[in-house]
Amino acid sequence: MSREITLDNVSKFYGEVLGVNRVNLAIPAGITSLVGPNGAGKTTLMNLMTGLVQPTRGTIRILGYSTDEPEKLFQLVGYSTQFDSFPKGLTGYQFIYLYLRLFGYDTEKADDLAWRAIERANLTEAAHRKVAGYSKGMRQRIRLAQSLAHNPRVLILDEPLNGLDPLARAEMIAMFRSLAADGCHVIISSHILHEVDIISDQVILLSNGYVVAEGQIQDVRNEIREQPAQILIRCDSQRQLASKLIESGLAIEVRMHQDGHGLLIKTADADHFYLALNQLVDGGIDIESVIPADDDVNSVYEYLIGTEGAAV
Amino acid sequence: MTRTWLAQIVAVIRLELKKTFFAKRGLWIYLLALMPLALFVAHAVNVGYRNGVRERLAAHNQKPLTYQDLASISTGMSREEVIQRLGKPPSAYSWDEQRQDESGPARLVVHETYNYTDGTSELHIRLEDGTVAGTELGQSENLGESTVIFAGVFQFFYLRLAIFFGCLGIFMNLFRGELLDKSLHFYFLAPIRRDVLMVAKYLAGLLAATVIFVTSEALQFMALCWSFDPNLRNSYLYHGHGFAHLAAYLGITALAAIGYGSLFLAAGLWVRNPILPAAAILIWEALNPFLPSVLQKISVIYYLKSLCPVEIPAAPGTPPLFALLISSPEPIPAPVAILGVILVSIAILFVSSRRVRRMEINYTTE
Repeated sequence: MSREITLDNVSKFYGEVLGVNRVNLAIPAGITSLVGPNGAGKTTLMNLMTGLVQPTRGTIRILGYSTDEPEKLFQLVGYSTQFDSFPKGLTGYQFIYLYLRLFGYDTEKADDLAWRAIERANLTEAAHRKVAGYSKGMRQRIRLAQSLAHNPRVLILDEPLNGLDPLARAEMIAMFRSLAADGCHVIISSHILHEVDIISDQVILLSNGYVVAEGQIQDVRNEIREQPAQILIRCDSQRQLASKLIESGLAIEVRMHQDGHGLLIKTADADHFYLALNQLVDGGIDIESVIPADDDVNSVYEYLIGTEGAAV
Repeated sequence: MTRTWLAQIVAVIRLELKKTFFAKRGLWIYLLALMPLALFVAHAVNVGYRNGVRERLAAHNQKPLTYQDLASISTGMSREEVIQRLGKPPSAYSWDEQRQDESGPARLVVHETYNYTDGTSELHIRLEDGTVAGTELGQSENLGESTVIFAGVFQFFYLRLAIFFGCLGIFMNLFRGELLDKSLHFYFLAPIRRDVLMVAKYLAGLLAATVIFVTSEALQFMALCWSFDPNLRNSYLYHGHGFAHLAAYLGITALAAIGYGSLFLAAGLWVRNPILPAAAILIWEALNPFLPSVLQKISVIYYLKSLCPVEIPAAPGTPPLFALLISSPEPIPAPVAILGVILVSIAILFVSSRRVRRMEINYTTE
């Protein structure tokens, strides 16, 4: 069995409207975030990976399986969609239990797995209430429970943290990390970039149906050569260091950080800067910390796509 | 693999049955199915009431009467002759009328109505000025006539309208309804082959349609039999064709659900508005007798009509077009008809399965 999720030259058009175009991806295990503004193609990409929509062009393999083999695919894949609708008249427990019966599990196993998933989603007390009466957060959690119930190796979650309170968000993030640590693929779409920063092992940046960058966020940042790197240096002699940096030509721009306790430096070559910095301060200045200031998703997204998606 | 499929099919049927049987939007299907039942129950109650009236009337006869006695009364006989043959009427009414003749002055006409019965048949005699002006002899229950009426209701209402539209409501919603409810993706995210899912949904719809319409048909037949005199009922059921007719009607009902079910399931996969395919199929089925022989075979009603156990005779003077509609011009053997419906359904389901496999979830376009 392949260990990767691969999309080979995948395009999807809804009539004349572009969903995604020429997507080539190889997604390894771990937490991968799909990042982009509304309409970037995140949900389309997830729907393509789960066979809910068919690619106009290209091929998709999920751990070696084609998306038009649901009987094999969904033994391995769980998908929590953004569709906020449920089969009518079912309680939370029935919703999960009957879904598990579709796997062909006997009553005992389906019951056992259903309760485990419900406990994981912290919905035990509400399990016998109708889903129609659930709050938005509870509906989000029951969808997560459903996608997790059969212990999939690939978990695809469309905006999974929407509607959750801070405690539930923290619990969910911990659970995603634990699943990733176990070797699962956890693919999350989000437009909340600071959350993506916290949880992702790698990101896929999307804009207008195109993948504009992919990989670990630092690697992606390093590849953006045309944008000078921003580095925050905290030290005891800020004025002295600033003048040395300008004189040496290492920095294009030096300014005080907004908190007044550090220098925010822009440099064209970050690698060279780090090497030269040690010689520059040798003996005279006590450096407290050197931190990259723009290798977060927000900055990378702003550099690559503009301000439309890098807001939150 | 087969075991898993079976388990999955059972799981889908369980989910679907709850939706089909208890959905508010399916209430009209029950009403359609129960409409003819209400008709036959009302008829049976009326017959029972009239039998009671007849029995009470017969108890007041001056002498025992036979059907022949009742039939011997004819127009022109005098009141005395009638009373001599049948005795004093157990029920009689009279009234006067001032009649203006063209030739002379107004004169008083005495009208009388005498009702006699032998317990099963009724004779109404109309007398004017002591002379029989008209008679009406009716039997309590005519087996032949009743079974033809039952066959007529079955063919022209139950089969062509009630089951047809009932199947439309049940089977078109199997996929279309879930798209409208935005809940189809739950099935598509389970490890179940799409064609197995389609078969499971079809079987669930078939089970629901069969239970609803076969039960109603059986109850209609019971109501029909209930209206018969006990002797007539026993003779029809145990010595006549009663049970064979019942089996045929139930079988045709189930076959109709199989045929129309597959048609409407397919229509739900291709068309968004159910009115259009329903109208098209209804017109196609209605035009069936007028179509060339080859085209006739591509319909459900063609096979079902051949299986109907009671032929409905065209009354004298029926317009040729209508006579053609109710006749079965080219009867086909029952096994061929049954196989025909099943094969047409399998062919439709096969084509539908190809469609389901390529189906996409895109609720925004619904």
